[in-house]
Amino acid sequence: MAPGVERSFTAASTLEEAMAARRQGAAVLAGGTCMMRDPRRGIDLPEAVVALHRIPALSKVEIEPDHVVIGAAVTHVVLGRALHGAAGFEGLVAAAQGAANPGIRRVATVGGNLCAFDFAAADLSPALLVCEATVELETFKGPKLLGISDFLKDRHTLLTEAIVTRIHLRRDLIASAHIRLPLRKAGDYPVAIVSLAVDKDKRCRIAVGSVEPVARRWTALEQAMAAGPPSALDPERAAGFALEHNDFQGRDGREAEGWYRRQVLPPLVKRGVAALLKTEGLA
Amino acid sequence: MSELSATVMNLPRRDAQDKLRGRTKYTNDRVRPDMLHAVLLRSTVAAGRIRRLDVSAALRCPGVRAVATGADAPGLYGIGIADHPLLAIDTIRYHGEPIAVIAAETEKQARAALAAIMLEVEPLAPVSTMAAALQPAARLVHEGWRGYEVITEGGARAGNIAWEAKSSRGDVDAAFARPDIRIVESSFTVGRQSHVPFEPRVAIGSWEDGRAHIQTSTQVPWTVRNVTGRVMQLPPGRVRVTVPPVGGGFGLKFDASIEPITALLARMTGRTVVLENTRQEEMATCLCRENAEIRIRSAVTAEGHIAGREAVVLMDCGAYGGEQVFLTTMTAHTLGGNYKVGATRLVSRAVYTNTPPNGAFRACNGVYNAFALERHTDEICDALGFDPMEFRKKNVLGDGDLGATGQVFEDDVLGPMLGRMEALRATTGTSEAKADGRLYGMATTVGTWFVFVGPSAATVNLNADGSATLVTSGVEIGSGTMVQSLPQIVAGQLGLAPDQVIVREADTDAAGLDVGVGGGRTTVSIGAASVAACAEVREKLLRTAGEMLQTRPEDLVLRDGRVEITARPGSGMSIPVVVAHAQATTGPITGSGAFTARNTPAMSGCAMGHFIDALDIPVFVVHEAEVAVDPDTGHVEVLAYRVVQDVGRALNPRAILGQIQGGVVQGLGYALHEEVTLTADGRIAQDDFETYRLPLAQDAVPVAADLYEGAPSMGPLGTKGAGEVPILAVGAAIGCAVARAIGKPVRQLPLTPPRVLRLLHEREPPPELSHIAPGWAANTLG
Amino acid sequence: MTVTFQLNGEDCRFHGDPMTPLVDILRQERFLTGTKAVCREGFCGACTVHVDDEAVPSCLKPVGLVEGCAVTTIEGLSSGNQALHPLQANLEAADAVQCGMCFPGMVMSLSAFVRDNPHASRPEIKAAMVGNICRCTGYERIVDAVADCLDQARKAGQLVGGINV
Ligand SMILES: Cc1cc2nc3c(=O)[nH]c(=O)nc-3n(C[C@H](O)[C@H](O)[C@H](O)COP(=O)(O)OP(=O)(O)OC[C@H]3O[C@@H](n4cnc5c(N)ncnc54)[C@H](O)[C@@H]3O)c2cc1C
Ligand code: FES
Ligand code: FES
Repeated sequence: MAPGVERSFTAASTLEEAMAARRQGAAVLAGGTCMMRDPRRGIDLPEAVVALHRIPALSKVEIEPDHVVIGAAVTHVVLGRALHGAAGFEGLVAAAQGAANPGIRRVATVGGNLCAFDFAAADLSPALLVCEATVELETFKGPKLLGISDFLKDRHTLLTEAIVTRIHLRRDLIASAHIRLPLRKAGDYPVAIVSLAVDKDKRCRIAVGSVEPVARRWTALEQAMAAGPPSALDPERAAGFALEHNDFQGRDGREAEGWYRRQVLPPLVKRGVAALLKTEGLA
Repeated sequence: MSELSATVMNLPRRDAQDKLRGRTKYTNDRVRPDMLHAVLLRSTVAAGRIRRLDVSAALRCPGVRAVATGADAPGLYGIGIADHPLLAIDTIRYHGEPIAVIAAETEKQARAALAAIMLEVEPLAPVSTMAAALQPAARLVHEGWRGYEVITEGGARAGNIAWEAKSSRGDVDAAFARPDIRIVESSFTVGRQSHVPFEPRVAIGSWEDGRAHIQTSTQVPWTVRNVTGRVMQLPPGRVRVTVPPVGGGFGLKFDASIEPITALLARMTGRTVVLENTRQEEMATCLCRENAEIRIRSAVTAEGHIAGREAVVLMDCGAYGGEQVFLTTMTAHTLGGNYKVGATRLVSRAVYTNTPPNGAFRACNGVYNAFALERHTDEICDALGFDPMEFRKKNVLGDGDLGATGQVFEDDVLGPMLGRMEALRATTGTSEAKADGRLYGMATTVGTWFVFVGPSAATVNLNADGSATLVTSGVEIGSGTMVQSLPQIVAGQLGLAPDQVIVREADTDAAGLDVGVGGGRTTVSIGAASVAACAEVREKLLRTAGEMLQTRPEDLVLRDGRVEITARPGSGMSIPVVVAHAQATTGPITGSGAFTARNTPAMSGCAMGHFIDALDIPVFVVHEAEVAVDPDTGHVEVLAYRVVQDVGRALNPRAILGQIQGGVVQGLGYALHEEVTLTADGRIAQDDFETYRLPLAQDAVPVAADLYEGAPSMGPLGTKGAGEVPILAVGAAIGCAVARAIGKPVRQLPLTPPRVLRLLHEREPPPELSHIAPGWAANTLG
Repeated sequence: MTVTFQLNGEDCRFHGDPMTPLVDILRQERFLTGTKAVCREGFCGACTVHVDDEAVPSCLKPVGLVEGCAVTTIEGLSSGNQALHPLQANLEAADAVQCGMCFPGMVMSLSAFVRDNPHASRPEIKAAMVGNICRCTGYERIVDAVADCLDQARKAGQLVGGINV
């Protein structure tokens, strides 16, 4: 920032106000847990920011019989608490309650986790992928809805003119699980994440995070499992399929090399299926 | 012994309340608005020649008050050899090396001015590894090594070998040539460990009445004083060092580093200057426990007698010799410890590389030498079919056995300690059931370390209110010696309660020489000096009281704050009355005491280039670990951990158990989680808490510990230092336990999940140490 | 920009960059040095304070976000001559403290935890400590002290922090 220039800071109370600031070039500030570390990475803080925490509509979780709406400014803690006990969302709850550490989870938001696009280890991405979430954006041209997969792929460009406002989930899951593998018990970024869900038709959805730069569905494995009999929901068999259909290119990072991230996927699938089977009626 | 019963207690810490309330002012809490802030310009290449360094533009930047370069502090410092400039002079030897420093009104201004320094560096191809440094044609990290001042004589040096220490006893060739032996050879490599004290290195310098005053977070106030004098070319007496409570040290602060820079800038500006490493700087330039490469060969008979042993230990000192020069000494006592060996020869070399300099870290090279020796011992047992516990019981050092330098060990200590471990295990039970389908392993290992003795001084002033003031250069780094064992010792000597003993913060203007807080030495060395000071105080006190009571001093005792006639409890008078009388008649009662090493002899001709030929106070440990290894992911979970530690005499058992818990968990970090790697351009890759994985609460286990008392010690009341050694054999115990769990040899630390998974799949190449020559002698400078 | 918030029960007004980390204001402007800046990246918890009664790291908190909030630091938890918070008293009794640098943050995190989790088990206590690193103690005594604190509160029929159950 040039000397003498005062940083502009808007705590928007409405989405309109936030969009106005955004049009003027302000960057979105959510919990700040990612943005405040930018200087350490050699990136200057933005000259103008707009904070979302005062916009009531973005800070709540609405749970309806057939769908759930999550505001983008909802923190991990609030999300985990709100969905605790809601059938089918066990995986998302585990992601919200297992990411980072308790202090960060009280601050870091759903929007921030999805929008930090150079952050490969985000827990919520694979968890929302298996929910087949829809992401609602407010863009300079108006609101826009798109599937989470497309959002994750294109967010780099999408976010230059948008704010993520809400995440929409259908309640069509009967069980889900979120298996994360940090190198310690917790506290470091997971080197690999496998999220799994079973929908009402007993079809299995599987997504993988942190192994590649962007989380994605494991379509090859899903298809292999769907081709088998329903009894394919067996931990050992699922791990066998995972080994056979491992089409991931592990990314090399400071915490782990690519081969390791790839190598641990079958055992994580095994654990995930075992966790799913704990849900009543699935075993 | 009443003196003992008056001293031994679980005294709580007097500093706990303030620390819990956040009121303790560590050095980095003492920054005031009127201070200047200093910021370092550090090298962004690992090796190079400075072609141009022009700071004139930086001096004109807003808020800047001074800029200093190597030319302002031309003296070199070091341990053993003076090879280290305060700020790089002409040559850059590591990534992150300080080149210039700016002092400005605010930190922001100082940082902004960095860009105005004109620096041109001609980069050189860095000598990044010890393998590269030992190539015959390797570029010399220190071209002018021959010209350096040698501070301690005796070590062999040449080119990139900063220092070499050798020990040799008996005819090793003959032992290896025996027809009745089998030869077992093992190679190991270990990485660095970063101390990560919560308070980084920080100093506040001022210039007062023509002298420097440095307040700093250090373990070695006298070293900081002397090094500052050296680099500024001042008599060291013109430097005063005071030490507020220290937010963790673990050996990192056992050397001077940035402190003299603040004195230099204070002299230039006439202002008080603060310099604090950012966390990134702290980790990128940490004086780590060194990475090392080890080859051990042993000749063992079918009966399990170790007829001969030889080893080569390469220790990376990084760009400057530092502590590694001294620590080459310790191989003889650590790799050469633990077991009785027929003939033995060991060489240990500190090797220069273009990497950040290494330093001292809790139990230093003992930690990896214990790992290597214990894993090697298990490999011997595997190869020859011995039971590892029986082999250890049969071979551990006992009374009259010889160490590698020919030192004669006294008393059977390790043998009985192994028995105590079995007894401890019988009370705790084992935890195999918790492995829950994972691979389970348990191992019992031993370790030998020492108490670093050396000079200490103490003064005790007895006050008219009955309190005593203890003045030493000791520092409270967190281990509790200044708030627990020392006041306990003084109180016990003078018949006071520990809370009547005031302990003065280290101030080199007030107390005599001390070599610093480290090597488990404070309780022993400062403790012994304090006992000597108390003896003088006692003598004066009893003499005065004797006159007052018309009794011979021999018939008097100090008890519960009174001088009493031995046979008549409650008789006599209170200490304040005696002190008041003395003050009016002969003057205030003070005593001073001193202590230093005994210099236990080695066998002549056995130790070459050693700073310590034999251990005055050896310390032994027995560690036992139980682990479960996840065969799918390589994660190691520690299920249980047990320690039997030789403490000589436990003055404060509860405090010692706290040190053991903390030291073991730090060792678990070293063994399992904490990884330092160097990038291709010579940087430490893990320079933050995101990538440097310290153990967290969930990675810790409660350590079951048994304190072994009664082994011989010259320490006061038979004490040995207890805070340093708990980390000693953790790498050993975990390494051996994991090897047993997975059924594969473990030859590297740390055992991160990826490494363990590679080991399980036999994808981990064994250490390739082709730069260690096959013949032992070819690895020495002759 | 001006940011107004409550600091240890008193009004506090900050003029300057709203993206300044809260910890810097506490330490450098208010001289409340009990809050430690150790990693500045959210991993160690040494900078933990309460913002509207929630324990959060102050190193990643832009001061602009605490406008109108109540901030409590370690100095505000038991100030002046006040008795130690029961958790602090238990930590003292367990001889848990070593260098002490992690403890202000540890106390701020865990004092909120014991208030909100009167029935926490040992594994739950450890899970609550994932964001609080201690380099010295090896943790177990801290866990002991938290467990003791909860035990005592349960026996006395009180929530830690004084409110009746
Ligand atoms: C110590 C630590 C450990 C961590 N461990 C984990 C972990 O284990 N798993 C994990 O998933 N994450 C982890 N994280 C990352 C953390 O979860 C993310 O930093 C967090 O989710 C970001 O949320 P925030 O609200 O703080 O975002 P901010 O920092 O405020 O924003 C992050 C980015 O997203 C943009 N943004 C935020 N909200 C929106 C929006 N609504 N619309 C458009 N753009 C937006 C911002 O402009 C910014 O570029 C960790 C972080 C820390 C500090
Ligand atoms: S300093 Fe804030 S979490 Fe470490
Ligand atoms: S007591 Fe030193 S960091 Fe915890």
